[in-house]
Amino acid sequence: MADHWTETFTDVVCAFCGLGCDDLSVEVTGRDVRAIGAGGGTVCAEAARLLRRRDVADPAPALGGEAVSGAEAAAQAQALLRAARAPVIAGLGVDMAGAGALVDLAARFGGVLDHYASPALFRNYAAAQRTGWLSVTLAEVRNRCDVLLVVGEDPTPHFGRLFERLYPATPLFATGERRVIFLGGGPGEKARDQLARARVTHLAAEDAVAALEAISGLLAGRALPGEAYGGVAVEALADVAAALKGAAYAVVTWNAATLDEGDLVATRATALVDALNVTTRAGVFPLGGRDNIIGVNQLLLWRLGYPLRTAVRAGGSEHDSTLFETGAALEDADLMVWVSALRPEPPPRFSGKVIALAHPETVFEAAPDVFIPVGTPGVDHAGTVFRMDSIVSLPLGALRVATLPSVAEAVRCIAEG
Amino acid sequence: MRIRLKGGRVLDPAHGESLVSRDVELVDGRIVAGTDLKADVEYDLGGDVVMAGGIDLHSHIAGGKMNLARMLMQEDRRAFPELPGAFCGCGGGRAVPTAHATGCRYSELGYTTVFEPAMVGANARGAHLEMADIPNLDTGAYLVLGNDDFLLRLMAAGAKQEQINAYVGWMVEATQAFAIKIVNPGGINAFKFNARWMQLDEANPHYGVTPRTVLQTLIRAVTELGLPHPIHLHGCNLGVPGNDETTLATILAAEGRRLHLTHLQFHSYGTEGDRKFSSSAARIAELVNKNPNISVDVGQVMFGQTVTASADYMSQYRNRGIATPKKSIGMDIELDAACGVIPFEYRDKSFVNALQWAIGLELFLLVDDPWRIFLTTDHPNGGPFTTYPHLIRLLMDRDFRNAQLATLHKAAQAHTLLGQISREYSLDEIAILTRAAPARILGLTDKGHLAPGGVGDVVVYAEESDREAMFSTARLVFKDGRLVVKDGAIVETVAGTTHVARPEFDRGIEKDMQRWFDEAVGLKASHFRIADHELRNGAGPTILTCEGVAP
Repeated sequence: MADHWTETFTDVVCAFCGLGCDDLSVEVTGRDVRAIGAGGGTVCAEAARLLRRRDVADPAPALGGEAVSGAEAAAQAQALLRAARAPVIAGLGVDMAGAGALVDLAARFGGVLDHYASPALFRNYAAAQRTGWLSVTLAEVRNRCDVLLVVGEDPTPHFGRLFERLYPATPLFATGERRVIFLGGGPGEKARDQLARARVTHLAAEDAVAALEAISGLLAGRALPGEAYGGVAVEALADVAAALKGAAYAVVTWNAATLDEGDLVATRATALVDALNVTTRAGVFPLGGRDNIIGVNQLLLWRLGYPLRTAVRAGGSEHDSTLFETGAALEDADLMVWVSALRPEPPPRFSGKVIALAHPETVFEAAPDVFIPVGTPGVDHAGTVFRMDSIVSLPLGALRVATLPSVAEAVRCIAEG
Repeated sequence: MRIRLKGGRVLDPAHGESLVSRDVELVDGRIVAGTDLKADVEYDLGGDVVMAGGIDLHSHIAGGKMNLARMLMQEDRRAFPELPGAFCGCGGGRAVPTAHATGCRYSELGYTTVFEPAMVGANARGAHLEMADIPNLDTGAYLVLGNDDFLLRLMAAGAKQEQINAYVGWMVEATQAFAIKIVNPGGINAFKFNARWMQLDEANPHYGVTPRTVLQTLIRAVTELGLPHPIHLHGCNLGVPGNDETTLATILAAEGRRLHLTHLQFHSYGTEGDRKFSSSAARIAELVNKNPNISVDVGQVMFGQTVTASADYMSQYRNRGIATPKKSIGMDIELDAACGVIPFEYRDKSFVNALQWAIGLELFLLVDDPWRIFLTTDHPNGGPFTTYPHLIRLLMDRDFRNAQLATLHKAAQAHTLLGQISREYSLDEIAILTRAAPARILGLTDKGHLAPGGVGDVVVYAEESDREAMFSTARLVFKDGRLVVKDGAIVETVAGTTHVARPEFDRGIEKDMQRWFDEAVGLKASHFRIADHELRNGAGPTILTCEGVAP
């Protein structure tokens, strides 16, 4: 755009994967947005893709695909909410202000609240909620962890700069050899680059749960009768057990979103870390946090006392991680409010009425009954999102002048009618 | 808007008013001198007791560990669902109530200001977001320092006090904190290096500094920065029999400087008797009485199910075996601190729990000066704050207290001198403990009293001989001049403010902080820092400017 200056923003916070990188450089020319780097290196592919915005006209609010004014769309959305018997408010890819507004909406009209990425959260809750666990935040892993056990596939495709963040040039405490053991898939090229300073081992476990159980058995001093567990030779597992036990600060990490048996991995990793802490220090570092799911879950916990998958109705709320999972809840629902401001995540198929408060580039299989395009936190407006560890939250700034409402604003318009 | 409260009896120990019959007037949310002008609203109190809004200086109401507790203890939430009524449609729970329930329940008891005593810097933004969702209460938070690697590194390198002060000032400003809390000085950090205990003069395995030096360094820092509240200390060896010696030594370690010892009950245990667990309340109260620089809150144990949540991961890890139900959480946090969450049921038939109950009451009754002791259960660690009215009755009614004592574990009864203590708190003293004294030690000059210029946080109680009944349901509660509770029920929810302290400090520290965050933490210092507009949905904080003293 010849008539616009290009402005470069530095130290931009990225809200997408949950790792909370906050050192991005972004060029903005008018309405055109492009991430150009991060922390002196390259920006990850997902951030580059999701931050890329072209100077195109915003889609208009629409009713069944027919463009209408924002006020008309909001009025129709309120009418649908008033008429609904059992709404489900799903997606929930929103910043903290958006999440707060949606809880207010649920309190007023009733509704089930769930985030589209919650299956991984509830796999981890099999351990975190049932027994509790001993965990650790990013900066502790970064500086203390001398033995890291990565369970499952290489997480780098989902968390592009994970190992870069965890393995800086000069950690405070883990100044000797830092060992990283992949139990499952091997590290890709990007992970190997980021782990150049670490000693990397790959054990191609076919069954990570069985391998984790065997490691726990070996740590407990049990003699294992088999030659291999989960596809890994006992000698190799014994080496892992010895490394973990000998570590000053061992950490076990996994991405439950990509593990069908994520609940069992979480449970076994938790037991392993519990056992290690009897003599040395260790923690679990579960990966996750896509589209502020952790922040939304935090807000529900302090607002409603329950995590995601909670129904608000008749002046009270009720939590059931099975019944109020999006898919299950939609089976009994007559209205879906689909909210996805951080990325153009399409809504699931649903036969009832649909209100979509969605990213302007969302591609719908069928035009929703009400479509209200919303701005993206951290691009169009300021906001707050949580990092995957549920402790750190980060401020998002606006990169350009907003032409679309935020989710919080859109919800307020609906509530006011 | 002029509101007149007519015909009440004013209890304002800050101004020596003990049940003085006079009217109280509020204009636009503030207390004003009485006038003959026509009031917009007038309430006839018919001799009811008028007090300032209650101030709780130590209650865990917000932050990541409370959410961990909520996540872990869903049974607490299920057992205490929403109360009926339009204003309580979002939240329940007793040990870890929701933000909404926290505000409503405190409000019904006549409290208008509550401080979160353990905000971890890394979690400060989240804690502030949560506090903004608590209705009807003003809040503030104490920043946990003393286990942070930046500070311990400075100390190990022999940094000058000025540099420490600059760091503390930067952290207070960046996290929008009101005071400094130390939790197990250096011990949480030592646990990260696998130390399992940390005595007052024991060297940190990595940094070599001792809890005593951490304490003394931070006492100097808050003194020189002019923070109104002294160091708020959760000392070494929480819950360990024999920690009485540590506590006595800690009082002396303050060397005459102001120091607040929090939940002192958990730090007043001896090792006498067959069970090697005994009360040292008398010894400790005696030393507190002799040292006017020391203030304490009790952390009274109240029987029933609760959940304990503390930054003291070292101590909580030791105690995880006694979790009831059997589950617990621990977390090392961000070169900053840690946390441990353990559900626990205090049982009156348990020797230890019964004696803990008695030790707390002994402390209340043996510390002479009501201006230096505060009414807390360390909510929810000793019990939920909703038990305060019962606790007040235990303090005010000796017969009631002794009747309760008689129902407890027999051996515990034999190990406490509680039955021989005849002291009963007066209404004036309760008003000091819960209003005037916390306002004074927090430096909140417009709170905790009913003189012109005070905030319009005013509570009316109908006097009853059953003090538990009296304090359970306030007749009227005004928050900033707005009626929020009538006859014990919430009639409106309003937004409170968040108190923060703003010390002056050497801003040359900024570049050190930037480098620390870039290299060690792996985040930008500018993103750690919380802007004013991030508090209270854009309204920003209420700032108390500090006047430091020369080092």
